[in-house]
Amino acid sequence: MASPVLAERPAVEPRPGRRRRPGIGRSDQLIGWLLITPALVYFVVFLLYPAVAALYYSFTDWNLRTAPNWVGFANYTELLFNDVEFPHFWKSVQVTLQYTLIAVPLTLVSALAQALLINAIRRGSNTFRLLLFLPVVTAEAAVGAIWRWLYDPQYGLINAALGLVGIPKQNWLNTPELVIPALAFIAAWQCGISMIIYLAGLKGIPESIREAAIIDGAGPVQRFWKVVVPMLRPTTFYLVVTGTIAALQVFGLVYVIFSGGGGRSVTGGPEQSGLAYVLHIYLYAFRYDAMGAACAMSFMLLVLIMIVTALQFKFLKQEAS
Amino acid sequence: MIRRVTGIAAVAALLAGLTACGGSEEAAGSTTLTYWMFQDRTPQAGEVVEKIRTDFEKANPGVTVKIVKIPKDDYNTKLGSAVAAGTVPDVGILDQPLVARYALDKTIVEMPAGTVNEADFFEGALNTNRVDGKLYGLPVDHTAVALFYNKKLVPTPPKTWDELKQMSDAIHKADPKVAGIVVPKGDGYGAWMWPGVVHGAGGEMVDEANKKILFDQQPAVDALQLWVDLLPSSPREITDSDLAFANGLAGMMISGPWDVATIKDQFPELDFNVAPLPYKTTPAGNIGGENAVVFAKGTNAALAWKWLAFLTNSDNNTQLAQALGGFPINKAAAERDAATFGEQQQGFLEQLKVAHARPALPDWIKINDEFIAPAIEAALSGKVTSQQALTEAANKTRALLGWNS
Repeated sequence: MASPVLAERPAVEPRPGRRRRPGIGRSDQLIGWLLITPALVYFVVFLLYPAVAALYYSFTDWNLRTAPNWVGFANYTELLFNDVEFPHFWKSVQVTLQYTLIAVPLTLVSALAQALLINAIRRGSNTFRLLLFLPVVTAEAAVGAIWRWLYDPQYGLINAALGLVGIPKQNWLNTPELVIPALAFIAAWQCGISMIIYLAGLKGIPESIREAAIIDGAGPVQRFWKVVVPMLRPTTFYLVVTGTIAALQVFGLVYVIFSGGGGRSVTGGPEQSGLAYVLHIYLYAFRYDAMGAACAMSFMLLVLIMIVTALQFKFLKQEAS
Repeated sequence: MIRRVTGIAAVAALLAGLTACGGSEEAAGSTTLTYWMFQDRTPQAGEVVEKIRTDFEKANPGVTVKIVKIPKDDYNTKLGSAVAAGTVPDVGILDQPLVARYALDKTIVEMPAGTVNEADFFEGALNTNRVDGKLYGLPVDHTAVALFYNKKLVPTPPKTWDELKQMSDAIHKADPKVAGIVVPKGDGYGAWMWPGVVHGAGGEMVDEANKKILFDQQPAVDALQLWVDLLPSSPREITDSDLAFANGLAGMMISGPWDVATIKDQFPELDFNVAPLPYKTTPAGNIGGENAVVFAKGTNAALAWKWLAFLTNSDNNTQLAQALGGFPINKAAAERDAATFGEQQQGFLEQLKVAHARPALPDWIKINDEFIAPAIEAALSGKVTSQQALTEAANKTRALLGWNS
């Protein structure tokens, strides 16, 4: 969600009185434009044009081969109300919201816990930071394969571990009720970026505040809830907003986890319980040749993300206290 | 001044880099035929294709065949963009379910009468190119799914549904940790295999000519019920384990020839073979594989059909199909060269003879994924009966297609 509107303003305003020969100013300007041309071309060709084109195609019926037909708002209304053309649209919305509600808090908790642990150790923190960050840089296909094995109903390590405390074997990725928690758990395991940001936040808490709290007689638990959590609020806010945006667009993980079994079709797990919204877009765009409807779904997601983000800005506390 | 020069130089270099990314179109010779196909699976496969290409050029002086190989996963996307941009090849591979879509929007052309003798081809394979009764392409190499069985657990493969159920029960009773058969799932892949079972009960999925949905009729209900009935002796918690059949956790599974090589490679000690699918009334199965079509915007259509006839004639088809990882669709080639296929491959060869093409409806993939797969899943999970699940799926399909019966 790169926002071109937020492009930085020049740090130094040109001062009129000190401008030297105006001819050079113009050619400097020209060079400036030329220098940003590659970035500008990239932005226009690969971001702006496709986005505008997608908005146009969302009002058409288009199979990618023949000329698109203008259909007005039909794609939007059919997506919302026609359960014959789009039998699993609302299911994909439900799955994605459920996933977001579980994955975002779980990721934050796991990231903060990891950051606190790393912050607490004195030796080898770099090594642990690297180890905890590895899941982020691991290829999605490998992550999918590893977790399919970990969740295996017969040989999986997860079941083996749960067996030690007497919890019976579960068929994680094939039981509709367990699919979303299982996927969210993988997301929490991949929390390395949030962990690094939390770690930076922790390092930014002044030592004097901690010392003052100790002098006032606050124990470790009180210090965590009364000092660390409030001081990290801007970090948490940032992570909640970006994490929610990412979770609403989850795709790669679901695609890899449920694409096993020989066929190239991915229908989103048992009883569509893992049918993420973006996977649903993908199916309509590239499997059912309904690019117009897929574009409409993309724009509905954009609007949803904007609303959710606006609500978060309005109702979540952003300032440290 | 120096700063300005370096600035301009930098910009020039960047722009040069950008333009270098664009490709240059090769000038087409008067008789160059462009053929798109999937990337070779092995270097040997590339040699086979190359030999057939030079043979064709020798037989047709002045003709050059330009073969473009594209990774299978990117193929449909590339082809779709080429169609949209009007830069299609003359002739190329097309995924089976796309033939109907491309034919109906006239992206590909009908095969002229007399191009081949239709009786030379396996009927099911040829029919995957038939839309509204007309042929729009030729099968190049095809494959079917068949029954893999573990010889230690299954002494003789079951031929009928009753034998299949008995065998599955016997395996699971003898060792409760082993499942009888890996029952396919209610996903797109399972829904792709299921029509083979429906045909095995003498049923059809649809009647395209009369616009009738038939997969809620008795044969289809029986076919789905068969899978439901197999579940007690084939519990999911066993068969959902990774590679359950290869690990010896299941006595049987339904899969395609791609798994033969994988199992032989990774589980050399597993003693297994492949037999045609058990049936209720009629031996039958499904079919998948590569078709080739001639594009409306290409040039040299006559030469393109000649090339396709050459690829599929009895001299070349076995070699080519083996190189591509499938089976010949030319009856004479399949008959003559049967012995050149390995022990496990014989089951697939048998299966292909009785395989049925999937319905030639442009929306079939969507019907398969969005209606049939969830119906199979609903029945297998025990939430509704097979009849209820299929009635609902059939009614939704009728509503989607605007068919009345």
